[in-house]
Amino acid sequence: MGTETVGRQPGKQYDILIIGGGPAGMAAAAAGAEYGASVCLIERNNKLGGILKQCIHDGFGIVQFNERLTGPEYAYRYRNLVKSYGSKVTVLTSAYASKISYHPEKSAADLFTTEIITAQNGALCLTSSTLILAMGCREKSDRQVFIHGDRPAGILTAGQAQYFINIQGLMPCKRCVILGSGDIGLIMARRLVLEGAEVEGVYEIRNEPSGLKRNIVQCLDDFSIPLHLQTTVTEVHGRERVESITVCKVDDDQKEIPGTERTIECDSLIVSVGLIPENDILSFSQIFLDPHTGGPEVDQNMQTRIPGLFSCGNALHVCDLVDYVSESGETAGTYAAKVSRKQIPYRTVEIQSSGNLVYQIPHFITLPDIQNKSSTIMKIPVYFRVAKSTEKAELVIRCGNTVLFRKRYSNLSPPEMKRAEISLSAVAKAALSSPLIECIMTDLGDTDGLR
Amino acid sequence: MNSRNRTVKTLHIISRELRKKGFPKVKTETCYDGKSIRLSGKVQTWQQKIEAGYIAASHSQKFKGIVNDIAAESVHEPLFPSPGSREFDETLDGLSYDVVIIGAGVIGCFIARELARYELSVAVLEKETDAAMHASGRNDGMIHPGFAPKPGTLRAKYNSKGNSMYPAIAEELDIEYRQPGSILLFSSSWMRLLAPVLRYRCKRNGVAGNYRYLTRMQVQNLEPHVTYRQKGGFYFPTAGIVSPFQVTIACAEHAVQNGAVFHRSTCVTGFKSLKRKNKRQITGIITNHGIISANVVINAAGIWADYIAGMADDQFFSIHGRKGTDAILDKKTSRYQKHIMAMPSLLKTAGNHIHSKGGGIVVCIEGNTLLGPTAEEVPDREDYSTHKNEFRKLEQHLSLNTRLKKSDIINYYSGVRAATWKEDFIVEKSERVPNLVHAAGIQSPGLASAPAIAIDICKMVLEILSTGRVEKVEKTDPIPLKQNFIPCRQHPPVLKLLSNDEKKALIRKNPLYGNIICRCEEISEGEVRDALHSSLPAVTIDGIKRRTRAGTGRCHGGFCLSKVLEIISSETGIPKSQITRKGGDSRIIIREISQTLSSENKKDTEEREGLYGD
Repeated sequence: MGTETVGRQPGKQYDILIIGGGPAGMAAAAAGAEYGASVCLIERNNKLGGILKQCIHDGFGIVQFNERLTGPEYAYRYRNLVKSYGSKVTVLTSAYASKISYHPEKSAADLFTTEIITAQNGALCLTSSTLILAMGCREKSDRQVFIHGDRPAGILTAGQAQYFINIQGLMPCKRCVILGSGDIGLIMARRLVLEGAEVEGVYEIRNEPSGLKRNIVQCLDDFSIPLHLQTTVTEVHGRERVESITVCKVDDDQKEIPGTERTIECDSLIVSVGLIPENDILSFSQIFLDPHTGGPEVDQNMQTRIPGLFSCGNALHVCDLVDYVSESGETAGTYAAKVSRKQIPYRTVEIQSSGNLVYQIPHFITLPDIQNKSSTIMKIPVYFRVAKSTEKAELVIRCGNTVLFRKRYSNLSPPEMKRAEISLSAVAKAALSSPLIECIMTDLGDTDGLR
Repeated sequence: MNSRNRTVKTLHIISRELRKKGFPKVKTETCYDGKSIRLSGKVQTWQQKIEAGYIAASHSQKFKGIVNDIAAESVHEPLFPSPGSREFDETLDGLSYDVVIIGAGVIGCFIARELARYELSVAVLEKETDAAMHASGRNDGMIHPGFAPKPGTLRAKYNSKGNSMYPAIAEELDIEYRQPGSILLFSSSWMRLLAPVLRYRCKRNGVAGNYRYLTRMQVQNLEPHVTYRQKGGFYFPTAGIVSPFQVTIACAEHAVQNGAVFHRSTCVTGFKSLKRKNKRQITGIITNHGIISANVVINAAGIWADYIAGMADDQFFSIHGRKGTDAILDKKTSRYQKHIMAMPSLLKTAGNHIHSKGGGIVVCIEGNTLLGPTAEEVPDREDYSTHKNEFRKLEQHLSLNTRLKKSDIINYYSGVRAATWKEDFIVEKSERVPNLVHAAGIQSPGLASAPAIAIDICKMVLEILSTGRVEKVEKTDPIPLKQNFIPCRQHPPVLKLLSNDEKKALIRKNPLYGNIICRCEEISEGEVRDALHSSLPAVTIDGIKRRTRAGTGRCHGGFCLSKVLEIISSETGIPKSQITRKGGDSRIIIREISQTLSSENKKDTEEREGLYGD
């Protein structure tokens, strides 16, 4: 097990307490410490790095480091960064945050209480003036896509298979079928073949792949693994271990087409059917979770509608690149360090999406004191995802009559998260006349595509 | 002579009715010395076989039971599973016990626990790798108040009696038990006129507590998120909930602590018997691990009890599997509903079989909410598959609560009820075999009835042993109680249920309790290791799940499975590639990759680990 405690033994109170030592949490910890806050980073596993540790493929860090790193390498860099702050960051590994509570009636230093269970330090109760949630996400299971039939051994999620193979050196199958063309599923298809398993095919219920194009090419095409679109797994057969599965074609409404069933012999079904931000610990607050992202609503500083509570990384919304995960963590850490010392007076402007957009992050923008020049030069990143693939589209972000951002995009698809930037000072100016910022994605040349 | 005439007449009526229904190839006769009815011959579908069985049952008041041996031509009805992949050896050969119980379901385990109070050697034979692998671990955990069974039946008698025993038993077994109460919702206002009828039935069945009619507003006040369609309801405050596998395993452990022995993966394949005074007495139980001898044998074989009775040449009933599917909702739904609820009209539209209460929404002891169960007659008694159509019926229950959504469902499973054609429990000494006792046909509300059934079975066993009914067993004085009987079982620590200070103390004593391996359910490594060392130790992944709840959460074992695998392996020494989910060939891992790696590759792996390790 080995509890890794960088810096001092856990104290009682911190400026920033971060739950989750993955790419978001580590970036937040480093940023918080950089701005002088005392930070406590809680990680459930016995090492920092989160899921990155099992992602031994490359492609991480293109934005942050301009390099193609493997997951463990990327994690290692951030871990060293955290470590370089020495005693400013207390890292508790093998530590599980069991409960958090919010006490607006208490002093600013003790706004949040977090109950933590650790092997080395027992059950702890830490207070903090800010709390950053960076718990990442979990995979949807076969049960959440309502696969029926028997329930034998051999049904697992892509992440589970990845952990078995890459971390434990255990092979979970000989011949498998993968349901869902999410990135982890695609990467695991290749990984399984490299380890000597046979991947019969990847099945996707939608009419387009859910994973990034580069993964389709590198993981499926290069290994001659067939991708079956508009086909789903309906039933699993086998009492003890998976013996076969039934797949079925679906129509445009994802309804099964009778008569198209096909039975495939295999010893495993690996599902990669989507990720859900891990926010169950938030149940204390009755905080509103955006149904499109599964995370809370945040402003440009990743602060939620509860002052001092931040959310970042995949716990906020599922990102396609780890670099954006770290970026949001850094933003949260930076701002948490500021507000942990002094609550800044503010007012907020809401952001809304329309047209071909599923959601945008942030949900609202907090306008600081206009006098504070340094913060108004800031560029605010706006992350968004389209609802359906489009060849040509234009994004306009405007506030009243002021256009804050306008750009044409080509070949957008839902798996790909995009990033736009707007200037905080422009928002501040425009917001004087209008209380709402609108993000509108218009498909060009295909008016039918408008939602 | 009179009774014989009556028998002939009944058979005639049944045959006529079967012909009328279009089953001319079904033959009706008596069996079991004229005390039971036997149907044989052929029909086309399984549904027809079921229909024929119930036609016979409707005329069987004067008969002991119905044996339905009709073959349904279009379906394959699997027979009693042969030991199959279970090992054959002689490890248990020659063992001898006072009492042998067949089946480690909730009935068998309660009986074992009851018998363990006495100076008797008791063994339980279970063909699976663990207790509670079938119906006992596959139900909704409800301790019914006792209203539903038909008055005058054994189901009615044992249900209300069992219900009233549960609070004390939960204390003794140190398990969680709660009485959330249940509400039978009325779908139209005229149904309130039924209230006196319901009250009368409760009284006849001996239902405890202040059961009463509730107005629409009263229901609304108890359950703010209840459907707007409700027009009042009937409230049973004594409806309770437990974790069904926790009860079963706790009983088993308690029995073991008091000297009972469990032989798992031990499948009964036949009996050796001796004919004395026109009666065939069991002398040996043939299993895949050899022949075990016993003075008294108890048939608590659940869904296969009729086969066991048949092996002893004592079959006067047959069992047909009635599958029920349940869906489990995320724990966060617990705040939306506090009581168990059902609305009968909904059940009719759902097309449920008449022989089921039809299900509703049950609150679970662990904090989840549960939908179900459905009812469907199935030929394969161990078919636990789920299907879309059954699932759709379950989804209808969601409408009882305005806040529950389909997306809250985190899991679903099914179980098979061991129904007899007379739809009643069989709790009796065999008429033919002097040292055989049946606890059979225990379907719903079997969990609630189990403690009461166990007490009666125990009485029967003591009677058999002390009255010298069995050859070679001397007539003795009443069997003495055990002097060193341990009255209460202590449940291993459950971290989640402890206060912060208690957690601290526990972790200080053993840091493994501070290493959380299942984050959905907050379960520590210490708890998993406890389960591997309990008096009925877990040997499979599912065994751990039933004892600790690791893997029952919303991630469905996504995170903890690999850790549980590692702990089992390190604690028991079983190689990871041999660890199964539920015995047999349900292995999680096919092979260990590291075995095939060359040493050079291994070094690479170590270096790679060094990148993120310390």
